[in-house]
Amino acid sequence: MGMLTLGHRRAGMPPAPRDVVGTSPPRPDALAKVTGAARYPGDLSRPGQLHLWAVLAGRPHARILGVDARPALAHPGVVAVLTAADVPRNRFGLIEDDQPVLAEGVVRWVGERVALVAAETREAAATGARLVEVTYEDLPVVADPATALAPGTPLVQPGRPDGNLLTEVRIRRGDAAGALAGAATVLEATFTTTWQEHAFLQPEAGVAWVEDDGRVVVETAGQWAHDDRREVASTLGLPDEQVVIRYAAIGGAFGGREDLTVQPLLALAAWTLRRPVALVWDRTESMLGHPKRHPMSIRARWGVDGDGRIRGVEADLTADAGAYASTSQEVVKAATLLLTGAYRVPNVALHGRAVLTNNVPTGAFRGFGAPQAQFAAESMVARLAEAIGDDPVAFRQRNLYREGDLEPTGRPLPAGVGALATLEACAAEARRRFGIGWDGLGRVPGASSAPRQAGEAVPSAGTDGIARKRPRRGVGIACGIKNLGYSFGFPERATATVELYGRGEVERATVRIGAADVGQGVHLALRQIAADGLRLPLAAVALVADDSAEAPDAGSASASRLTLVAGRAVHDAVAAARAKWPETDDERVEATVTYRPPATTPLDPITGEGTPNYCYGYAAQAVEVEVDPATGVVRVLGVVSAHDVGRAINPRAIEGQVEGGVAQALGYALLEDFRMADGFVLTRTWDDYLLPTALDVPDEIVPLVLETADPNGPFGARGMAELPLVPFLPAVAAAIHDAVGVWLTDQPFTPERVQFALDDSPGTSARVRTPSPATSSDDGS
Amino acid sequence: METTISPPRPVPLQPVVLHVNGSDHPLLLEPRRTLLDALRDDLGLTGTKKVCDMGNCGACTVLVDGRAMYSCLLLAVDCAERRVTTIEGLGGPALDPIQEAFVAADAYQCGFCTPGQIMSLRALLDAHPDPSDAQIARAVTGNLCRCGAYRNILRAGRLAAEIEADRRAQQGGQDGNAPGR
Ligand code: FES
Ligand code: FES
Repeated sequence: MGMLTLGHRRAGMPPAPRDVVGTSPPRPDALAKVTGAARYPGDLSRPGQLHLWAVLAGRPHARILGVDARPALAHPGVVAVLTAADVPRNRFGLIEDDQPVLAEGVVRWVGERVALVAAETREAAATGARLVEVTYEDLPVVADPATALAPGTPLVQPGRPDGNLLTEVRIRRGDAAGALAGAATVLEATFTTTWQEHAFLQPEAGVAWVEDDGRVVVETAGQWAHDDRREVASTLGLPDEQVVIRYAAIGGAFGGREDLTVQPLLALAAWTLRRPVALVWDRTESMLGHPKRHPMSIRARWGVDGDGRIRGVEADLTADAGAYASTSQEVVKAATLLLTGAYRVPNVALHGRAVLTNNVPTGAFRGFGAPQAQFAAESMVARLAEAIGDDPVAFRQRNLYREGDLEPTGRPLPAGVGALATLEACAAEARRRFGIGWDGLGRVPGASSAPRQAGEAVPSAGTDGIARKRPRRGVGIACGIKNLGYSFGFPERATATVELYGRGEVERATVRIGAADVGQGVHLALRQIAADGLRLPLAAVALVADDSAEAPDAGSASASRLTLVAGRAVHDAVAAARAKWPETDDERVEATVTYRPPATTPLDPITGEGTPNYCYGYAAQAVEVEVDPATGVVRVLGVVSAHDVGRAINPRAIEGQVEGGVAQALGYALLEDFRMADGFVLTRTWDDYLLPTALDVPDEIVPLVLETADPNGPFGARGMAELPLVPFLPAVAAAIHDAVGVWLTDQPFTPERVQFALDDSPGTSARVRTPSPATSSDDGS
Repeated sequence: METTISPPRPVPLQPVVLHVNGSDHPLLLEPRRTLLDALRDDLGLTGTKKVCDMGNCGACTVLVDGRAMYSCLLLAVDCAERRVTTIEGLGGPALDPIQEAFVAADAYQCGFCTPGQIMSLRALLDAHPDPSDAQIARAVTGNLCRCGAYRNILRAGRLAAEIEADRRAQQGGQDGNAPGR
């Protein structure tokens, strides 16, 4: 399926003689990946290496009474058993270093690492790990946020200022309570989401060794080599420069490699034992061992006035942070800010909090709080439109952000607001593609009920008189907004070094920038940006990115930020190097540039006022689904996914991000039901945690790309890789409603939940309801 | 209340000759060793990936006597006398048409599922040189791709069939079947 490009292409850019930006050359790693030659962390080994195996707690909350390593050490091949006492500085964390490398006195979640066994073979290490005798005294388990905040509940991390309340955010503007009291129509509902597991295919793995010069090298995968280095060095009490982080080929990340997992274990063992070491987690260790997407519960009240304008929103969000902070503070700020979606709302009262529990920690996952917040926001918008008899597109057109509008934090939005344009492009394309949907100002009469395939009778939508056994089709649309780049005053910058070589003319270049290619293709995009700026063929531009000692800090592969921030750093370093070139007769010049986007600020703790972000991405998605009321199974038949990318540096990579993002969003919406009970993970393998296959992904995914130039991005580019995850869930909810007349409020929309919602809705026959286990369903249908 | 775990008793190793990518590899293996671990750890063929180790994902897919099999679900000692082909055994001086098609169709992102996807399609095209779209989808439905490159993977399957058909046409009357795997 070709990608459609609309709008402001290369406005104001001089035509480049060799147009590298905007093309899709083959990926440089293509050959290695199709031949199996690419080396991922689990494929690495070092001569003379020891194999490591981590002893996981396997219980959610317990005091460690003792660790007896003797039985393990007596096993042939076991060389050492390391515990907390062996860690020079036993704390790490991305935002706050509240997590021990190896548990110290207490374990706070099932995946906590308690001891580390090193052995001559992998089998001996595995056996050794089973032979380490840890004596525990179990403690009461804090299994959910409500319990965590109740008086008298034990503290997950004693000594914190606010007990189990990890963080709290308030954003207020105008008078939300007054606006809702005076609104013509007010709706209220509660939405819940569960954890999502990244399920990258390459589990956590790597090798480490100590060089002759005393540097500790960890070769692994991650999303930010320089921060991995900072954290690892700190756990060993070493200066940053004495630790080198190298990235092998990265087998998927999606946010799940932002937090350290095996890296400090590898470094600790190599440093302590002075032998090369290797560690590979198995699937269950990976399912337990890295932070997940936050489960959230969101209560929302939205009110509109008589002319269909949103007057006020009150919304309250609680996120389960699990046992350690990870990035929860940042995720909850981002989610709270987006509780009003991309809509102009004059009166808001938004409240968010992250709560510590003995569940698996939660952190970054593609979308970073935006999917949960906008599941609620977009569902409320759709329901309000329905309540006042309005078209879902027209209602959004009236209320979406325009250029210059104020955010809930009281400051104007960053320039380049593509909310309306993406919605309108999406609605028009959905109508053209699927012969269904909206004309932008009103529903095309009867359109959604038109059967797509001849010979299959599909009854029209509506709850009354449902033929319970026949599959029914429906369409839904939703918008999405997501910050691109870091927020709330978090230091945001990327540094690139460009070296030019040649006699007379520039013949070739080397770009150094420590940006992680997790499969999204950023290495190619950065080379394209450099090649375009240098008027060189792509092959003449080399990139050094995967070594913290050989490339400067680009910041993380997260927040859809690398094309924008790292891309701009490369762009500017190219310009600086080019400017130097005529001034010298040397055959080599070098320039280093640190790019810093416009500053953001923390939010005022009382009002939430501030400048949270310097750039947003906008998207809209339309989906068509088929719902089988007999089984509750929902199939997605087609998707239109519209994105304002600023400028498509590599259109094919963008198309890949849209299609891949839609696949993950589809899993999130319909299949992926990560479950915990009393602090134990129930979904420990992919037998229980269902992931989308080739047959789940619809034949028709239409990536639609708009290019409203960003004022800061290279060639006007902004990021986009998270946006396909944002509108999808509410778009599917709207499509299910269109098909069978019920609103689902608990993610994922499993067959059971669809059936229960149908049972509860008027006009369907009553059936015996068996409550689903481990599901606290807040029925909002 | 802790259960004491006693170390496993050593298991006698068993001699086995694996026929992998056209060569014989005599090995001494524990009977419990999977074909996947034998390929990766004993033969160093790391193109075959270990992801779930329990038959959920397809990243470990290899050809065994021409059929696509999950190597994590086979015991290595059961694979003596069987012809095993891994991703390293595809192509020669030139890429296998499926590999070529994966590059042309951009059918991966992180690439970790790619060897397994390619092996599943290799088995399909060996059995059905002119597959339907449904057959292509069915062939890779046991191969998860978390990056979600599915649609390009299906395109690559279609493209590979076309490349092979072209090659067969060019070879005219000759038997254009791929060499025995
Ligand atoms: S590793 Fe064999 S199916 Fe997943
Ligand atoms: S390309 Fe990453 S899993 Fe398929």
